[in-house]
Amino acid sequence: MLTLLKLIQSIIKTLHSEGTPGQVAAGIAIGSVLGLTPLMNVHNLVIFSLVVLLNVSFGGAMLGWALFVPVGFLLDPLFNAIGLGLLQSPSLRPLWTSLTNTSLLPYTNFNNTIVLGSFVGWLLLTLPIFFAARYGVIRYRATIGERVRQSRFYKAVTASQVYNWYRMFRPS
Amino acid sequence: MRFKIFRWKAIGPLLLLFAIITLLVVIFAEPIARDTTEEASTELLGTQVDVGKLDLHPRESSVELRALQIANPFALARNLLEADEIRLKLNPAALAEKKLVIEQLSLTGMRFGTDRKTPARPVKGGGYAPQLLRTVEQWTKQFDVPLLSLTPIDTIRQLALDPTQLTTIREAQALVARTDSTRNTLEQGFQQLNIGQTVDSARGLAQRLSATDPKKLGVEGTRQAIASVQQTLTEIDAAKKRVEELERSTRAGVELLGQGTKVLDQARQKDFAFARSLLKLPTFAAPDIGNAFFGKVSIERFKQAVYWAELAQEYMPPGLLPRPAPGPQRLRAAGQNIQFPKENEFPAFLLEQGKLDFSIGGTSAVRGAYAATVRGLTSTPSLYGQPMLLSASRRAGGSALADINVHAVLDHVTSRTRDSASARLRGIQLPSFDIPGVPFRVDPGTGTSNLDFSIKGGGRLFGRWSIASQRVRWGADTASRSLNDIERLVWRVVSGLSDLEVVAELSGSMASPKLEVRSNLDEAIAKRLKAVIGEEVARAERLVRTKVDSLVADKVEPAKRQVAAVQTQANQRIQAERQRLDQVEQQLQAELKRLTGGIVPGIELPKIKL
Repeated sequence: MLTLLKLIQSIIKTLHSEGTPGQVAAGIAIGSVLGLTPLMNVHNLVIFSLVVLLNVSFGGAMLGWALFVPVGFLLDPLFNAIGLGLLQSPSLRPLWTSLTNTSLLPYTNFNNTIVLGSFVGWLLLTLPIFFAARYGVIRYRATIGERVRQSRFYKAVTASQVYNWYRMFRPS
Repeated sequence: MRFKIFRWKAIGPLLLLFAIITLLVVIFAEPIARDTTEEASTELLGTQVDVGKLDLHPRESSVELRALQIANPFALARNLLEADEIRLKLNPAALAEKKLVIEQLSLTGMRFGTDRKTPARPVKGGGYAPQLLRTVEQWTKQFDVPLLSLTPIDTIRQLALDPTQLTTIREAQALVARTDSTRNTLEQGFQQLNIGQTVDSARGLAQRLSATDPKKLGVEGTRQAIASVQQTLTEIDAAKKRVEELERSTRAGVELLGQGTKVLDQARQKDFAFARSLLKLPTFAAPDIGNAFFGKVSIERFKQAVYWAELAQEYMPPGLLPRPAPGPQRLRAAGQNIQFPKENEFPAFLLEQGKLDFSIGGTSAVRGAYAATVRGLTSTPSLYGQPMLLSASRRAGGSALADINVHAVLDHVTSRTRDSASARLRGIQLPSFDIPGVPFRVDPGTGTSNLDFSIKGGGRLFGRWSIASQRVRWGADTASRSLNDIERLVWRVVSGLSDLEVVAELSGSMASPKLEVRSNLDEAIAKRLKAVIGEEVARAERLVRTKVDSLVADKVEPAKRQVAAVQTQANQRIQAERQRLDQVEQQLQAELKRLTGGIVPGIELPKIKL
C-alpha cells in the first residue's frame, strides 16, 4: 500500500515539478530501461547512476520504470527473438566472441537473449518514448495540471515528509 | 539561465548507495554463493546437492566448501558422494571473464553411498538432467527381462483366452479388410483398362477386312485399310502397356497380401507366447533364467552409467560453435545464454587438476587410503584439447586380495566422441538384492565386481558388468507365504550353491540396446527344472497351441482363402485380357499381310496415280 502511495506521489510530483517537460520526458525515457530490461543486471546500475547524476527528472525516471515494467513482461517473447537473432547472427559472431572473452563485460549478461533483446529494444524506443512523454507532460500541464495542483489531494501529497527527500533530486 | 547537465550534489548519496551495496555484498556473498552453488549444481546433476558451508577467500582466489552431499539420483535415501572439505583454487583472470577455471581442487574426507538423514527431493522441472533421468528410466523399460515364473503347473486348467486379446484375430480382420480393398482396387483397374472397346473395334475391323477382296479396294482403298489396321494395332499396343502396368500394380498388391499371411503366422507365434504367459509356465531355458535372476540388477548398473555418460555428452560438447543454454530463473522470462568459445581462451568451466583423497575404514579388506585424480574436466573440450581423465586407486600398498581401481576417459575433443570407464573392485562387500518374481534374496557377501562401459559417438554401446563371490548367502522370504513345489525345487538348487558368477553384457545402440546375462546358476536350475517338470510343461504348451489354434482358425483360414482367391482371380483376369489382345492382334496382322501381299507391315507402300 505504501509503495503504491509513493508511486502515486511520485507520479503527481513529477508531473508538477519545476522540471521542464524535456527533463521529465528524459527521466521517463532513461528510467524505462529499468522496466524494460531484467532489473538485476550491471547495466541497470549504470542507468541508475545516470538518472541520479544527470539533470533529468528523478521522479520521471521512477515513473518510467513503473510504467514500463508490465510492458517489459509483455514484450519478453519479442525481446527473446531480437536477442536470439542478434546473438546467432553469423556476421556478429566475432563481436560477441570477442566481448565474451573480455574482462568484466560478460558480467553484463549481454549474451542472454532477453537482456540483449530488451536493451536493444529500449535503445530503439528511447526517442519515441522521450517525444511521447514530452508531449504528454506539456498537454497535461496545459489542460488539467492547474486544477490538480489546487486539489486537496495534491496538497496532502506534497506536504508529506517523503516530498522533502524527493526535492533533493528534482531537476534544477 | 545556464542549463546544467550534471547534478553534482547527487554524487555523495550515490557513493553512499554504492558503499551500502558493497557492504551488502560482503555480508551476503557467502550465503548467496552457497545457495547459488546448491541450486546450479542440483540442476546440473539432476540430483540434490547440499553444501553445509561456503567460505570465500578473495585474496587467495579460492573457495572452501564443507559438508558437501550429492544425493544418488537413483536412490534418494543415499548419497552418491559425501565430502568433508573441498578447496577450489580459482584462476582470477578467468574469473574476470565470468569463467570458472579451477586450477586445483582438493577434496578430503570423501565417502560413497552413505545414508542420508532425510531423503533427497526428486529434482523436478524442465532442466536437462531431470529430463534425462526420466528418459533413462524409459530407456530401461525397453529391455525385455522375463520374470522367473515358478507357479505350479496345475493352473493350466484355468486357461481362459479372450479372442479379442489375440493379435492373430486382429491381424486376420485387418488382412480381410486389406484383401477387400485390394480386390476393389483391382476391379477399378480392370474397368479403367477399357480393353473391351479396343478388342471389339479391332475384331470388327478384322471381320470387315476378311470379307473384302484387296484387288477390288484399289490403291487408295488399300492404303486406307492399311492405315486403319496400323492405327488399331497401335491402340492394341497401348492397351497391352496398360495391361502390363496393371499387372505390375496387381503383383505389388498381391505380394502385400502374401506378406499379410506371413504376418498372420508371426502373430500366431506371439499369441502362443501370450497364452503361455497367462499360464505362467515355468521356464527352464538357461538364458531366460540368467536374465530373470540378474537382468534387473544388471540394468540398474548400466542405467547409471548411461545417465552419467549422457550428462557428459550434454555438458561437454565437442566443437567451438556458439551454444545455447537456458538462462537464469527469474520473474522475467529466462531466455537463453549463448556461449561463444574462442580458441586460446579459457573455457567457461575447467577443472585443470583435481586431487581427491578418500579412505575406507572399518575392518574390510579394502580399508586404506585412496587417491583419485581428475584432469581436464571442462565445458569445452575442444579448447582444452585433451580428453578428461579420471583415475582412482589405493595410495599405498594394501591387501593383494582387495583393491579398488577406477579409470575413466571422456574424449570429446573432436566430434568423434568416445567415453569409456572401467571399475575393478576386489574384496568389497557386494550389495545384496532381491530376485524378481520369486521370494528369494541373494547376499553375495565379499567378492569382486567389475564394470566396463563405453559409449561412442552415434550411440554405440558396450557394457560388461560382472560379480563374483565365493561366499554367497541365499535367503527365502517365507514369512508372507510358503514356497510352492517348484520354488522349493529351485530353492534347493540355489541354496546349495556358495559360488556366484554373473556376467551381464550390454551391446547395440542407445536406440536398440541388447542385454545378455549369464550366471553359473542358469544351467544348474535349468537342468533340475527340466528333469522334474519338463514333460508337464511340454503338455501344457501343446494345450496352449491347440487352444490358440482353435480360436484363430475360423478367422485365419477364411482370410488366407480370400487372399488366395484374389491372387488367383487377379492373375487369371490379367491372362485373359492379354489373350484377348493377342488374339485380335494376330487377326489384324494376318489381314494386314493379306492386304499388303506379304510386305512386312509398317513399310509404307508407294503411292501410284491411276
